[in-house]
Amino acid sequence: MSCNTSVTRLCAPSVGQAQQVTVHLMPCEIEHNGPALVSQYLTATTKDNKQEKMVSFRGRGLKGQELSCPQGYSGLVLKEINKPGSDQEDRTVKVSSVFDKLTYWNLETPPNSDDTVVMAMDWPELAEAIHGPVED
Amino acid sequence: MAAKKKRTPNVQNDSWVVVAADSVIDTQKHDSDPAFVRLRNPLTDAASLYMLGSGDVQLYEVKAFEEDFHSWFVGQTVQRDGRLIFVTPMDPLYLILPYLIKSGKEGKFQPVDQVVMDEEFPACSRLLSCTRSLTSLHHIAEEKEVGGLKFHRYSQERTMNWLKKKVERTVTALKKRNISVGEGVKSATFIRVKPDADSHEEDYLRYAHGLISEYISEDLSKALLKHLGLPELTSPKETEPPSKKRKLSDQPVEAEEDYTKFNSADFARKPPKKMTAAQKTLAKVDKTGMKPMSSFFSPKVKAEKK
Repeated sequence: MSCNTSVTRLCAPSVGQAQQVTVHLMPCEIEHNGPALVSQYLTATTKDNKQEKMVSFRGRGLKGQELSCPQGYSGLVLKEINKPGSDQEDRTVKVSSVFDKLTYWNLETPPNSDDTVVMAMDWPELAEAIHGPVED
Repeated sequence: MAAKKKRTPNVQNDSWVVVAADSVIDTQKHDSDPAFVRLRNPLTDAASLYMLGSGDVQLYEVKAFEEDFHSWFVGQTVQRDGRLIFVTPMDPLYLILPYLIKSGKEGKFQPVDQVVMDEEFPACSRLLSCTRSLTSLHHIAEEKEVGGLKFHRYSQERTMNWLKKKVERTVTALKKRNISVGEGVKSATFIRVKPDADSHEEDYLRYAHGLISEYISEDLSKALLKHLGLPELTSPKETEPPSKKRKLSDQPVEAEEDYTKFNSADFARKPPKKMTAAQKTLAKVDKTGMKPMSSFFSPKVKAEKK
C-alpha cells in the first residue's frame, strides 16, 4: 500500500518552454510510440471542405473536424522525465507541448455532435455544476 | 486500457494527452508544483488519482475519456494511448465527507485535522489546505467553537441538503447543455415519446443523482434518492429514465447505466502484478483513478441517437 504515498509532480514552469503542437485523435489503435511522418502523409493530403476535413489514411477514408478546448482549459501533452527505478519513488512529468484545439477523425462517418469526444468537451461544464460551491 | 486479444501491451508509454483547467499551470501564485496524488475514492473506498494544485489550494479530479481503438498523433510522433485525460476542479468536501461520517459514529465534536487522517493515504490531510475545505465544512457538519478552536460533528441532515443543492445545480447544467446539444441531433425520425413535463423533470433528477452518486457512498446515494423524493427502483432496468430506453443498439445497457455497479466493478480493480514501474503507475492511473468519460455520456448518446 506504500505506493499510495508516492506522488507525481507536474513541473508547471515547463509550460513556458512548451511548443504549440498539432494533435490528431485517430480512429484506430496504432501499436507504436515514437516518431511518425504525420505532416508528410496526413496533413499534406488533408482536404478541407467547409467544416469537415477528409483524408485517406492507409486506404481508409477518414472524416474529421477541429475541436477547441473548452473555455478556461488548455491542452497539455505531459511527458515523464527521469523515470524512477521503483514505484515507491516520486515521479515527475513536464509539459512537453501544448495545444488549444485538436482534430479528431472518424472512420467514414461525418463528424457530428453525438461523437463521444465532442460530448467529452462538455465535461468541464458539467463538472463545474457537480463541484462548484453551493450557496448557504 | 482494456487489453485486446493479440495486442501487445503498451509498455513504453510515457506521454499523456491532457485537457486541464488553466489554473493547474498558473505558476504565478505559488512556488510549489501541482502534483498527482492518490486519495481514497469515496464511492469505491479504493485508491483514485487526483491532483492537488500548486500550494494545495485546489483539488482536481482526473478523469480519462477513452474509446476503443484510438491513438494520437502528437506533432510528428504517434502515441498509442488514445485516451484524453481531463483535469477539472473538484469539491474537496466529497473526499472529506467519508472521514467525517466515520468519526461521526462516535457522536463527538472533534477537530477536523484529527478526523481527516489516513495511514493508507497520507496525502488526505492536504485536502484541508484547499481554500474551500474549511470554509464549507458547515455544509456537512455541525460546528462548535471553543476557545478559538473549531470542532465538527457530521450531520446527515446538512449533508442531505448540501447534496440536494448539488443535484439541483447539476440538473440546471444538464438542461442547459441539452438545449445547445439537442437541436443538432434532431433528425427526421426523431420522435419525442415523453411530452409529459413532470416525468421529464424526474429524468433529469435521476440522471443528476447518478452523476453525484459517483462521489458518495452507496448508502448516502440511497439516502439522497429518498431525500429527493424519488422512489428507489428495484431493477437496474427500471432505473433508466424513460428517455434512455429509446436506444438503438442492442447491447445490454444495465451494467453501463447503473452507475454504482459500473464503478465498483471497474475501478476497485487492482492493477495486475509483473509490470514495470512506469506501467504500474499508468495502470493505477487507468483503473483506480479515473472513470471513462463515456460512462457519463453514453446514456445520453443513446437517448439522442435516433
